[in-house]
Amino acid sequence: MREGFTRRHFIKVLFALGIGTSISPNLPSLLNSVSEAGETGERPDIAVAHGSSPGRITEAAVIALGGIKRFISRGDVVFVKPNISWDRVPEQAATTHPDVVGKVVEMCFQAGAKEVKVSDNTLNDPRRCFVRSGIEKAVKEAGGKAFFMDDRKFKEVDIKGEIIQSWPVYKDILEADKIINLPIAKHHSLSRLTMGMKNWIGAIGGSRNILHQKIHASIVDFAIFFKPTLTILDAVRILTRGGPQGGSLGYVKRMDTVIAGVDEVAIDSYGATLFGLAGKDLGYVRLAHKRGVGTMDFHKLAVEKLEIG
Amino acid sequence: MRTLRRISQTLFLLIFIFLFVETEYSGTGQIPYPVKFFLDVDPLISISQVFASHGIPPGLPKGLAWSLVLVFMTCLLGRFFCGWVCPLGTLNHIIGKIKWKSYSITKTRAYSSWQKGKYCILIGLLVASLFTLQLVGFVDPLSFLIRSLTISINPVFNYMTNSLFLFFYKADMGFITSISEIIYTFLKDILLSFNQPYFKQGFFIGLIFLVILTLNTVRSRFFCRFICPLGALLGFLSRYSVFSLDRGEDCNSCGKCLSHCQGAASPGGDGHWKKSECLFCWNCESLCPLDVIHFRFQWPFKSQKKKIDLTRRHIVVSALGGLVAVPLIKLDLMPKNPNPKRIRPPGALSEEEFLKRCVKCGECMKVCLTNGLHPSLMEAGIEGIWSPLLIPKLGYCEYSCTLCGQVCPTGAIKELTEEEKKKTKIGLAFINKSRCLPYAFQTSCIVCEEHCPTSPKAIWFEEKEIVVRDGSVERFKLPHVDPELCIGCGICENKCPIFDTPAIFITSIGESRSKKARILL
Repeated sequence: MREGFTRRHFIKVLFALGIGTSISPNLPSLLNSVSEAGETGERPDIAVAHGSSPGRITEAAVIALGGIKRFISRGDVVFVKPNISWDRVPEQAATTHPDVVGKVVEMCFQAGAKEVKVSDNTLNDPRRCFVRSGIEKAVKEAGGKAFFMDDRKFKEVDIKGEIIQSWPVYKDILEADKIINLPIAKHHSLSRLTMGMKNWIGAIGGSRNILHQKIHASIVDFAIFFKPTLTILDAVRILTRGGPQGGSLGYVKRMDTVIAGVDEVAIDSYGATLFGLAGKDLGYVRLAHKRGVGTMDFHKLAVEKLEIG
Repeated sequence: MRTLRRISQTLFLLIFIFLFVETEYSGTGQIPYPVKFFLDVDPLISISQVFASHGIPPGLPKGLAWSLVLVFMTCLLGRFFCGWVCPLGTLNHIIGKIKWKSYSITKTRAYSSWQKGKYCILIGLLVASLFTLQLVGFVDPLSFLIRSLTISINPVFNYMTNSLFLFFYKADMGFITSISEIIYTFLKDILLSFNQPYFKQGFFIGLIFLVILTLNTVRSRFFCRFICPLGALLGFLSRYSVFSLDRGEDCNSCGKCLSHCQGAASPGGDGHWKKSECLFCWNCESLCPLDVIHFRFQWPFKSQKKKIDLTRRHIVVSALGGLVAVPLIKLDLMPKNPNPKRIRPPGALSEEEFLKRCVKCGECMKVCLTNGLHPSLMEAGIEGIWSPLLIPKLGYCEYSCTLCGQVCPTGAIKELTEEEKKKTKIGLAFINKSRCLPYAFQTSCIVCEEHCPTSPKAIWFEEKEIVVRDGSVERFKLPHVDPELCIGCGICENKCPIFDTPAIFITSIGESRSKKARILL
């Protein structure tokens, strides 16, 4: 137990774990992360965790936000949407880090989720993407189900967006009780960066290659439609050039960070700072802010920074 | 023995189907099973490779050495391969067994002098291959079967199964649908292709296959008796085998054995037993009412007639046929007028060498992740009919995938490492500015660049301010192709939103296998 462990910390920890949960074997590390967190005393809007273990910083960020039980209830069917678009390995930073995905699946089950489904509409052959990204294996080890999207299960639904009226969306996402967005922070040659909001392009079917014509408005229309319960932006490694697919390890920068929260606009805006940009530099972030999806002024929000050893 | 033969046939047919189904990506970059095994043991393929290359060609897969085992065993035991192992033989056998009312069984199963046709075909093929023209793949039974299954039968089977389960899925009948979905998932795991396969020429190749199967109603094992050059080769090798039919003195020529003989080899009756036609199916021995027919080990140079019913005239004419076919087919305009769509899979040898080796078995097309490899029609000349072409519009070449080289039985497609594969150019991308969205319609689009897998990307942007219709100025990213970096994988063409005639397209120029196709200094 660390020094300076106060009653307040203890209450925070209790809250984080959820009353009635059995004592987690990770308790010491949880206490550690919480006690290192800022002394805001309130639940932050955005948790930014930094540390060498992708799984542990993911866990710490969620705990800082109030714990997984804040987002997932007993019996929920959860759909987790990582970015598995490309036939690339984690070191190339084109797909969400498998440990981040694995940890989230594990936490969902800890919260009593009935089923945790993980999928993405990939751009390269899905069989290769699922294997090489390491995500299939990580999900399986955490007890979840990673599966390829089935063409029959795209359902044309009303998006009621500004430019997207209706579009085919994957049925399991529509039917899930909770959806969790697990994007990776990457350079993108058209939208500049792809992070949280743009990740929803992987949840839909149809002729996705025509969305590029009005990329910002399309991204925002889908971001409004999907409304995830929780978003965790993987910035363990970020892709600074050659996005969204990357390739060369020279494009990759190690940040050892995840950014978690509910407001996707704020998360994307915060994520932009990792690339030396601001949220307002990104068309879709500006537009989403304007349309009231969230706020790009994350400075006005409570941001808790955690250092996980 | 007959039961044993049936078990063997069933077993080998099942192994064959299993290996065929497993000719697909399975979660690792390597195919875990010896999926080309049946082609490996085919001595017709290895002999024609050696003939066409005038020696053992460099990089000939070691697997083909298995064919020596079959050669040796055939010399010893006769054409047991045809009767006990060959999957096409087994299919012909099954269909030939069905009793069709309109034909008398004795007639369909009696020896016909046309059976020497297969020896003529064999001689023609081998002479042609000696003069570098490789035609074996068209009629070799294993190439023929794998090709037919890949291009036609497997897609049809998938289509029917998928439609059936789609019906239950759409009908949404509660319990029934949930059961059907469980069965469907199971079938997808073990039997069905990952995606519904589609192939050019699926109809014609399927039709030829059905014709061959239907011919069994005219004569059982029609293909095996009259056409099969592999059967002819094995028949030739079996002439001095030590395993022979021994017909006792007491034979009363009842003819029962004749009506069940698979190879029409005259086991009983008036004629001599024809060793080279015998498939050792054991029907005659099992059925003989007097029990006078037996298979025994015998000194092969004894009195029995073992000559193949082939005159010098037959041999000369078929050899000449094979010889004349060479210039007739080779005098094609292809080398002078290369087809831009003749895009070969990565690792393919130079076109001349490639055509000497490719036996059109379709293994590469079966294994291709994106269903991008298709049988050619005239894109590669007559010689190249049914050889593989990449059609990027239908399926691109996956950047890190090396499966086609792994399954090629003859090394026509070299087995590349992932690193070699990523540097192998199979063509070059060109942009059609009159169709490309930013150039033609001042509309943003970066889809080709986004998908380009090389690093640095072969597609790069020129950022330009362009005056649009209302007079205002907008910035656009105009794509360009860097010919040094482009490997011609075709994902850009495949994903281009202007998909009927893509605004970016691949042609075979610049392919690394050809010195002549080089365009950059």
